[in-house]
Amino acid sequence: MSHTHSPGDGGGDHPAAPMVEEITDFEVLEIAVRELAIEHGLFTAEDHRRFTEWAESIGPAAGSRLVAKAWTDPAFKKRLLEDAVKACKEIGIDWAEPTGFGTPSDYMNLRVLEDTPTLHHVIVCTLCSCYPRPLLGMSPEWYRTTNYRRRLVRWPRQVLAEFGLILPPEVEIRVEDSNQKCRFMVLPMRPEGTENWTEEQLAAIVTRDCMIGVALPRPGRTADVHPVQKARRPVQRS
Amino acid sequence: MPSNKPSAKNRTRAVEARFKVGDRVRVKDLPNLFYSRTQMYVRGAVGTIAALTYQDVLPEDEAFNRDGRLEQYYIVRFRQKDLWPEYPFENDSLQTESPERWLEPVDS
Ligand SMILES: [Fe+2]
Repeated sequence: MSHTHSPGDGGGDHPAAPMVEEITDFEVLEIAVRELAIEHGLFTAEDHRRFTEWAESIGPAAGSRLVAKAWTDPAFKKRLLEDAVKACKEIGIDWAEPTGFGTPSDYMNLRVLEDTPTLHHVIVCTLCSCYPRPLLGMSPEWYRTTNYRRRLVRWPRQVLAEFGLILPPEVEIRVEDSNQKCRFMVLPMRPEGTENWTEEQLAAIVTRDCMIGVALPRPGRTADVHPVQKARRPVQRS
Repeated sequence: MPSNKPSAKNRTRAVEARFKVGDRVRVKDLPNLFYSRTQMYVRGAVGTIAALTYQDVLPEDEAFNRDGRLEQYYIVRFRQKDLWPEYPFENDSLQTESPERWLEPVDS
């Protein structure tokens, strides 16, 4: 290492300052294509705004309902594992909306991966950030980072441990790299202590992270909290 | 000029699937100059067909708006130990999806 910065020295000539995020090539490309499409009348700026707001408002609630229903209704679970896109319609989610063939990059192929006492699934897209958006909404920021995408396939147990999920070696961890047109969702095991719960109660503990496979549902855990680890030696500002 | 003709989604099934669930396959290490969705880390690795998914055009064709021909897609399951030589956990696995063209049969 040729760099010998000590923490807090701000790197010599450069004072320590928050990094300004730069716009990526893909963002520039998206803006260019969008503006061309609007100019040529393929859709209006208003259409684009409404679609974007709709896409960003989806959230993971439908996925939670899907899991809760599968936990309480064995016949539904069977249908869900056989044809997940079709089963989604039973809870009011139509993967064809609004384009007729699936929103771009979501397509019409969904597979639900069932966890068992000896098998745990976890999902990643190493190539980009493929995610079952009609069910779970937009992916979390960490899901799209190269850090998660690179490391999950190579060191899944270490990455899961960083999320606070440590599984014994006897449990097979199966990483699902969703690199083509299938989208995936994890069906976690119903935890103990939830006997006689209603679907609504159950849905509350099925958080987004549980359906990606980086957390397990349990009574009382109703939110994905990623504690901020404070730096042990933070940058000193003068 | 790219055409606007109907995509593969509207076509009928056109090809016979070469592999079935349980077949052993090796991921080919084909050259690809422009675009592919076959990850480097599975090239040359041997896995097992876990599921037949759908038929669609190849990403290599679709990326350039070429229709190409439909191919069967598969979910292939690998042992993590077969992907990463020093992987320490015996039972762990990884699945990824691949069009037929990238797979070749493995005997025994
Ligand atoms: Fe992706």
